[in-house]
Amino acid sequence: MSDTGIGASVLRKEDRRFLAGRGNYVADIAAAGEVALAFVRSPVAHGRIRSIVKPEGAENRVFTADDLDGVEPMRAPSKLPGYKPADFPALAIDKVRFVGETVVACAGATRAEAEDLAQAVEVDYEELAPAVDMLEARKPGAPLVHDAWGDNIALATRTDGDMDSVRARAAHSVTREFRMSRQAMVPMEGRAVLAEWNPRMDQLIVHTATQVPHLIRAGLATFLGLEQRQVRVIAPDVGGGFGLKTYVQPEELVACWYAMKFGRPARWISDRREHLIADANCREHHYIVTAHADEEGKILGLEGEVTVDAGAYSIYPFTNCLEAAMAGGNLPGPYAIEAYGVKTWTVVTNKPPLVPYRGVARPGVAFAMEMLVDAVARTVGREPHEVRMINMVPASAMPYTNIAKKTFDSGDHAGAVAKAVQMIDIEAVRERQARGEPDGRLIGLGFGSYVEQAAHGTSVFASWGVQMVPGYEQAGAKLTPDGGLELRVGVQSHGQGMETTLAQVASEILGIDPENVSVIHGDTGLTPYSTGTYASRSIVMAGGAVSRACKVLVERMQTIGAHLLQCERDEVRVADGRVMGPSGDLPFSEIGRVWYMNPEELPADVDTDGIEAVVGYRPEPDHGTFSYSTHAAVVAVDTDTGAVEVLDYVVVEDCGTMVNPMVVSGQVYGGAAQGIGTALFEESPFDELGQPLASTFADYHLPGAAEVPAFRLAHMVTPSPHTEHGIKGMGEGSTIPTPAVIGNAVNDALRRYGAEVNETPISPRRVLAAISAARGEAA
Amino acid sequence: MTEISLTINGAPVTASVEPRTSLADFVRDSQRLTGTHLGCEHGVCGACTLEIDGEPMRSCITYAVSCDGASVTTIEGFDDDEVMEDLRQAFTENHGLQCGYCTPGMLVTARDIVRRLPEADEKRVRLELSGNLCRCTGYVGIVRAILAVLEKRRG
Amino acid sequence: MKPARFDYARAGDIADAIRLLGSTDGFNKPLGGGMSLGPMMNLRLAQPDLVVEVRGLDALKTVSDEGDRLVVGAGVTHAAIEDGKVPDTTNGMMRSVAGQIAYRAVRNRGTIGGSIAHADPAADWPTALRALGAEVAIDGPGGARVVPLSEFQLAAFTVALEPADIVTALHVPKLSPGARWGYYKICRKPGEFADSIGTVVHDPDRGYTGVVLGATDGAPLDVPALAEAVRAGKDVEIDDAKAALAAQGATFDDYGNQIHAVALSRAIKGAFAS
Repeated sequence: MSDTGIGASVLRKEDRRFLAGRGNYVADIAAAGEVALAFVRSPVAHGRIRSIVKPEGAENRVFTADDLDGVEPMRAPSKLPGYKPADFPALAIDKVRFVGETVVACAGATRAEAEDLAQAVEVDYEELAPAVDMLEARKPGAPLVHDAWGDNIALATRTDGDMDSVRARAAHSVTREFRMSRQAMVPMEGRAVLAEWNPRMDQLIVHTATQVPHLIRAGLATFLGLEQRQVRVIAPDVGGGFGLKTYVQPEELVACWYAMKFGRPARWISDRREHLIADANCREHHYIVTAHADEEGKILGLEGEVTVDAGAYSIYPFTNCLEAAMAGGNLPGPYAIEAYGVKTWTVVTNKPPLVPYRGVARPGVAFAMEMLVDAVARTVGREPHEVRMINMVPASAMPYTNIAKKTFDSGDHAGAVAKAVQMIDIEAVRERQARGEPDGRLIGLGFGSYVEQAAHGTSVFASWGVQMVPGYEQAGAKLTPDGGLELRVGVQSHGQGMETTLAQVASEILGIDPENVSVIHGDTGLTPYSTGTYASRSIVMAGGAVSRACKVLVERMQTIGAHLLQCERDEVRVADGRVMGPSGDLPFSEIGRVWYMNPEELPADVDTDGIEAVVGYRPEPDHGTFSYSTHAAVVAVDTDTGAVEVLDYVVVEDCGTMVNPMVVSGQVYGGAAQGIGTALFEESPFDELGQPLASTFADYHLPGAAEVPAFRLAHMVTPSPHTEHGIKGMGEGSTIPTPAVIGNAVNDALRRYGAEVNETPISPRRVLAAISAARGEAA
Repeated sequence: MTEISLTINGAPVTASVEPRTSLADFVRDSQRLTGTHLGCEHGVCGACTLEIDGEPMRSCITYAVSCDGASVTTIEGFDDDEVMEDLRQAFTENHGLQCGYCTPGMLVTARDIVRRLPEADEKRVRLELSGNLCRCTGYVGIVRAILAVLEKRRG
Repeated sequence: MKPARFDYARAGDIADAIRLLGSTDGFNKPLGGGMSLGPMMNLRLAQPDLVVEVRGLDALKTVSDEGDRLVVGAGVTHAAIEDGKVPDTTNGMMRSVAGQIAYRAVRNRGTIGGSIAHADPAADWPTALRALGAEVAIDGPGGARVVPLSEFQLAAFTVALEPADIVTALHVPKLSPGARWGYYKICRKPGEFADSIGTVVHDPDRGYTGVVLGATDGAPLDVPALAEAVRAGKDVEIDDAKAALAAQGATFDDYGNQIHAVALSRAIKGAFAS
């Protein structure tokens, strides 16, 4: 291993500008003559717009749906049979379907002036009964979010298994109901857009905070009636994404429309209240699950009903049914199960649309499955980690195709559990538990395991019916005249450190110092097409593509180098940033000089494409990589206040080859902290009228440094047999089990009461209610 | 509009501002010092934290007009500060930042912790960071970085 | 999230502030640290016509020892109290409470007088100072006066200030050396607004005992039955606190009944531990 290539914890190149306060986010960009946009948003969850009165004299600064000539409602098509598209208008047309929906756009010289205008607009609504709770909304007779549908079900699916035989053989059938609440994603930078029309380029130039610039370009072109060549999307520094920044937003369309209509740049910078109220939310799953198990806790069969509250509209491009599709496919987790049956419903309600958040469906899935495993363990009287281990696919069975037709490529799942058991020191925890705490709090221990399919390929996305199916990921690599390297990738790095890690991949192949590598990303005008950064795919896909592109450069440099070094081509190798022959070597700058400046020195057999290559890459098979992990936590529960404190938290994870272990660890820590947010703090609740109850950070609690434990982490490394360098995707993973780990730990603490909390966040209120309910039953 | 005179990063500034303009918007939009970030605009997240008269404060809920006569230091104004230099190095070595958005406010708070609480332990550091939210790092690298600088300065 | 337009004036002294606040009929607000008013204005929940800056007035920053009480200027920041720049006459109570308010960057600017005038039920000073038996000094067109907090605090975000009145100081009785205090705050995270605050101040040498519950949906609530129990040297368990609250008609939802009783019980136990 070199100290700059794959496997080295190279310090991040991007840190310098951020530490100096010289990052460059969308809101930091100023355009001459720009206007700021603010929006009048619906104050009712469901209603008909009777009238809109623009402030007098402001008619050319205030816009409704009627003004948006040429702007189509956003449609996210799906090929899944029976799917009902729920078009999302840039500004509400006739009806409003959630509190916060954009109704009127206002343009001012400053954001404050735009807000002044918005405050002066009068909109009259006829309020309609809202559909708020997904289980109620699923029933016949519920208020209809989309009148023409006849019901509120965007998609229903059903997978049947041979449940009769496992039911007959099972000693125990354990059923539980779980709910993962709706929440917000809360990147520290909210969504932001600055759109301007460039007549010279005949192009709409859109700076926008996105993870997926090429997909946003496709969407904007489609809904604005432009050709894609006429749209350039640039994502500069992006302050976190986590899934939020993957869809075309109504405000973005309006900003683009304004820039085109009036020839002036338009900016919209989301504020935190807009994020919490009006941006797409996430999670909100409901489960009823049953495990059919034998006396030992071996799960023979699994049955589930999954309902996802998708909100009012379907977001482009990933649709509103990806969550349910993922949930249905992932419920069996890392376990070898004989029979599996699942029904899923994607239900629309009068709430903001749902967009996949880090972990996509699987935190909900794991919350249900991993807590069900613990319920089985309690039923058969065994330690939960033992029940996990006997049910897991053994390392000897890899590769293994599970009951949901997922092919795990490699790994030792039970080994990860064993390591976590050792790290958390189960004997010591059980002793402490038995001893009791001086302050009277109850100690609980919880485990959670998962397998994380990542970098899903063409076949997987095609099976989900979405329109934007990823194919071959391309990367461009170009040797500059002075021997430096430029990499061009269509993914976007917004915290993942890819300006460093992709340079490390190049360093691995070329031996070049990452300091001499520029990674150009997030700009449709400068980079090859990519579906972007989501699904923990970028280091697998773009990393693999960079590796392949650099290998092409090696071949091209060998030809030129052999000529200059006066030796045979196969005597030349590229290493340490130099081209080396039997009797001497050259710096890359010599190759650059000759190709660019002194082509008269080139050999006759030179590759005429030069020292620049765009290369496509896709792992084969393309079903994705399978990272896995087991987490364990010790919590203390204050049964008087319901407060839960995380005392210890360990993670054992295997994501194959680590390009940069420091960055991998950082992703694990950050994901686990977000998981703790989901587990204990974060919730976007609505009242019965569909009014959001968390609109500021006074009501919406993010975990801070005092709530997050000092995670302890161990890595296992089982390289993927299918990918370049054995890399597996891992960016989302540690959000997945955390709510279940904390939930299992809390329920372990509450065992003496027979109480269980089966809903996130595990707030003091819910803990006290569970204890109270259990006491009521006992009495 | 109200006329104000203040010092920003050591340089005198005189400007005419609308009373409703926050100090954050003033330094960002009028002074083009965009290292001060807005994360919530209601005083909770800490991204906008900068120094006024040597103390960390929230620039999103402080109006520029209230800073007449004050000395303001933004993240761009600490380039020659020894503590900040140590913190910047420690943040990168401990992977205390990912997307970078919370980082300027986090550094200003970290500098205050290091100077005000030289004996702080991990628990205290975590408590003192309550007013600065980070969504990326899980705080692991941030806490380690601050502890490393405290340790270094304790000798 | 930008404020509505407002006019702005900087007061030269207290009299000037009162004059400015009364100079128009609109909704006029004095601005101290602005740590509560700022967010409300940014959210446009508060849209004053005129904001009068009183931060920086020397008269509001003075702290004076007046025998049995400490008079703390309304413009003194939480951080100054936290850091011990204000004499400790409450056996460390005010210093401890100050250090628990929001975050350091807020404490550096937010003021004690502003907190009392704003009267957020979930804030610290309204409950803590009431338990200390503090009084609030007010100046305004009707003249200067000093009012007990129990008469000043009317409801959530509602206090007995007339238009153009400003809070100038807090009069905080000094605790005897042997006095005990307890302060127990239940909140989801450090620095967040509280779900419940239980406070007790027991100063037998002065014949004073106060037990106050904060972070309800109204003004801080005196709990005389528990003060009586403290005076009698009784232990106060959670159920005792529940019973005391119920007996005075202070009932909440199930969660509120529980945590308010816990906060009071733990505050009292904390006061007498060690």
